[in-house]
Amino acid sequence: MTTFELLAHGLVVALQPMNLLYALIGVTLGTAVGVLPGIGPALTVALLLPVTYKLDPAGSLIMFAGIYYGGMYGGSTTSILLNTPGESSSIVTALEGNKMARAGRGGPALATAAIGSFVAGLLATIGLAFVAPTVVKLALSFGPAEYFALMVLAFMTVSAAFGESTLRGLTSLFIGLLLGLIGIDLQTGQARLAFGIPDLLDGVEVTTLAVALFAIGEALSVAATKGGDSTIQAIKGSVWMTREDWRRSWKPWLRGTAIGFPIGAMPAGGAEIGTFLSYSVEKQLTTKPEEFGNGAIEGVAGPEAANNASAAGTLVPLLTLGLPTTATAAIMLAGFQQFGLQPGPLLFTSNPQLVWGLIASLLVANLMLLVLNLPLIGLWVKLLTIPTPWLYAGILMFATLGTIGANPSTFELGLLLAFGLLGYGLRRFHYPIAPVVVGLILGPLAEQQLRRAVAISQGDPSALFHSWIAVVLWLLAAAAVLVPLYLRWRGKDKILSQLGGDED
Amino acid sequence: MSETPAKQTTRRPDWAALAIAVILAVVAAVVVWSTARQGGAASYARIGPTTFPYVIAGAFFILAIWTAFEAWRGDFPERERQEISPILWIVGGLAAQMLLLKTAGFSIATGLLFAATARAFGRGPLWKTIPLGTVLAYIVWVIFARGLSLSLPTGPLEHLLF
Amino acid sequence: MKKFLLATIVASVMAIPAFAADYKIMAPAAPGGGWDQTARSMQTALQDEKISGSVQVTNVPGAAGTIGLAQFVNQANGDPSQLLVGGYVMVGGILTNNSPVTLEQVTPIARLTGEYEVVVVPAASDIKDMAGLIAKLKADPGSVSWGGGSAGGTDHITAGLIAKAVGVDPTKVNYIAYSGGGEALAALLGNQVTAGISGYGEFSEQVKAGTLRLLAISSEQPVAGIDAPTFKQAGVDVAIQNWRMVAAAPGISAEQKAAILADIEKMAKSAAWQKILTDKGWENTYLAGDEFTAQLKKDTELTAGILKDIGLVK
Repeated sequence: MTTFELLAHGLVVALQPMNLLYALIGVTLGTAVGVLPGIGPALTVALLLPVTYKLDPAGSLIMFAGIYYGGMYGGSTTSILLNTPGESSSIVTALEGNKMARAGRGGPALATAAIGSFVAGLLATIGLAFVAPTVVKLALSFGPAEYFALMVLAFMTVSAAFGESTLRGLTSLFIGLLLGLIGIDLQTGQARLAFGIPDLLDGVEVTTLAVALFAIGEALSVAATKGGDSTIQAIKGSVWMTREDWRRSWKPWLRGTAIGFPIGAMPAGGAEIGTFLSYSVEKQLTTKPEEFGNGAIEGVAGPEAANNASAAGTLVPLLTLGLPTTATAAIMLAGFQQFGLQPGPLLFTSNPQLVWGLIASLLVANLMLLVLNLPLIGLWVKLLTIPTPWLYAGILMFATLGTIGANPSTFELGLLLAFGLLGYGLRRFHYPIAPVVVGLILGPLAEQQLRRAVAISQGDPSALFHSWIAVVLWLLAAAAVLVPLYLRWRGKDKILSQLGGDED
Repeated sequence: MSETPAKQTTRRPDWAALAIAVILAVVAAVVVWSTARQGGAASYARIGPTTFPYVIAGAFFILAIWTAFEAWRGDFPERERQEISPILWIVGGLAAQMLLLKTAGFSIATGLLFAATARAFGRGPLWKTIPLGTVLAYIVWVIFARGLSLSLPTGPLEHLLF
Repeated sequence: MKKFLLATIVASVMAIPAFAADYKIMAPAAPGGGWDQTARSMQTALQDEKISGSVQVTNVPGAAGTIGLAQFVNQANGDPSQLLVGGYVMVGGILTNNSPVTLEQVTPIARLTGEYEVVVVPAASDIKDMAGLIAKLKADPGSVSWGGGSAGGTDHITAGLIAKAVGVDPTKVNYIAYSGGGEALAALLGNQVTAGISGYGEFSEQVKAGTLRLLAISSEQPVAGIDAPTFKQAGVDVAIQNWRMVAAAPGISAEQKAAILADIEKMAKSAAWQKILTDKGWENTYLAGDEFTAQLKKDTELTAGILKDIGLVK
């Protein structure tokens, strides 16, 4: 009962006109900074947090929530329209979203992203309010062995993004894995593949690689072919989602939420993994497999919902245990601390007003984002009517701006250029781009978890299968490989060629 | 899906693809060399810091052989004709921005990138596009550096007004 | 594009009055950990006491802070508005990582706080006290997995020292490195590792809530308000303090250094800072200027010896 009352009270506060204005300002500012490629929600919140210092706790909290959601949505916008992912968790969005935008369906893509984010944010925030203690228990039972199994499952499903050839898909993936090795090894402190270059001790930044491969690689490729195959059609048909779009979107939204929320709640899960899994689930379940790779709306709706749900999921360990599991969550701690709050297991009981105020603020900010962005979609889509030379000149300007803003070093820009050329080379020889980024994200996570698991068990590999969660994840991973093989054996080649099997 | 390997026309060694195979093999060799020099302490994990590099290097060797095989059979998809000069313009623009950023500041360096990119797509002339790009970059700088306190490098132009 | 720019201009104009960055503090660690907390506490104190109009904190995580240190030395050279938070972990990290950049290349300003290392176990663990943990460690060193920060840091050093003090080969310590406080804490709460070793601040809330059991603390004397014996009382002859400091950029002038020193001194003496120290349970071990520089040199030499002893540096 008190839960409802507290949430209702929080909502009443959050819905006051002044606070709604703060939410609107927060969402606008957050979107403005969040659209910069390479500047994700964490950095956006960190940059803009001082704005909130001037306000009273309620106003501050709600503006903060607005900035957070705005920063997240900004990343998706550039992914869809410009094929330039704003942060690692919107990389998957670029796969189908940009294809849609190029076919004149940018409006529906943005709309399904916005509404999907809203639906996911709403459900996940409600989930946060009512099932947080249960979810956190599940999340904590994930040890290194379970994480490693989860990573293996994610690897197995990456093949959904392999495209037409297994050889080239695997090569892309291993390029990413190799890049992931660069830098200091956490477990032993040794430098690997750094060749004595201090800048490389830091490893390769995911956003740098993604921006370079997607934005710069593509600019080079389009310029070299004189725009041959990539004529952009800004608007075709309605800017809004059709009945068909709605019909195809609502299930991916729900599934994306169901995948993203628990993964976000895991201390070492990460939003990207939820988006990868959601994408491959949608690809398996779709009734129109031929559209995947050419702009399938499910491929935008699912991952975007997963992304937002996992963002709300990270609040579960933060509010129930005081565990900041992502950079964004850690920045949120700084936000709490300005009110003298010490996040920890006692936060819910000692400061219920503020916690529920935050949850209510998140709900309101989520709504504000939708209110602000749906009418703007028409405007955003017009970006694509800019003539190609100016569009790409602008894209490169903003792509480098993001990198410079996040880390203004000559070396980082050099990496951007080198990876841009790599991206061009990959496109030239029809290698898929996404697996490179996936490899860079998953590789180090998988390696660390495997080594932790085996170290804790003192070298006993059976520890990898010690719990039922791990076993289930291993079985799912095996199924991800075997089911397509079985389908091929049954002669369902049509489906299979869409599932990314090899053509040999 | 849209492109099918044109086996009829390319049934001969695909030299560019063979070059990729060679590159993959070289990368594998470099990884092995670098990892062997680094040495490792395996402790309880048995899987030390050198395990993954060796596994990945091994995978690169296999991929190199596989690529060479497909290249020999001409299995790689057909490639479009490419023009070199636009690529050089964009690469030149990025390099100019990278090298000039610290001295000339964000606006001028990024203005050059803007103009070079436009040139790559056939728009010019540079004496018009460079100032245009610089002005645009300057507006962007004002918004993000002054308005949103993003740290962007400054140069003479930025010091002029702020 | 134009409309987008217009929208951003409108948005930014609304935000302009809020910004006037005076100091940029780099926390060379992931957000949420000890250095990050120190940097953000400095941010709060400097702003609340109106010593600085606006303070920005940036995080450059990795490798016991040596990545941040290298970046700081490269990028902040001669810039008096930039500060670096660091600490004892960095001293060890520089040695184990063979870092080309050392703390001699920055301008040390002051040691701010010290935090004692504590050993904790999950509440459900069958280990009740330090003696129980030592017994288990002596019986089979590998069966005790220690969760803590990056390899070669204070946490790792302390684990090695404990092993050495009770007669167990320090190289046999089964140390599991986690990248941030939050991740190690999650591993403990999920019963993934036997024991956790880190600064008291990282575990204090969990200890208060009763989800973690505090076994011992690394101070010389028992600390008021912390209900645990010292290592020495528990029969382990180890005392270690994980201090944190603030440093300024290399290549700044003497006047610039004096100005920063004055600002930091003012902050360290302020009521806001004292309150933060109490709230977070940080020991005030303020030591500024040349005295600190000398102390730093001494610590560096001492650490090199310890790391060799326990086999982390060859």
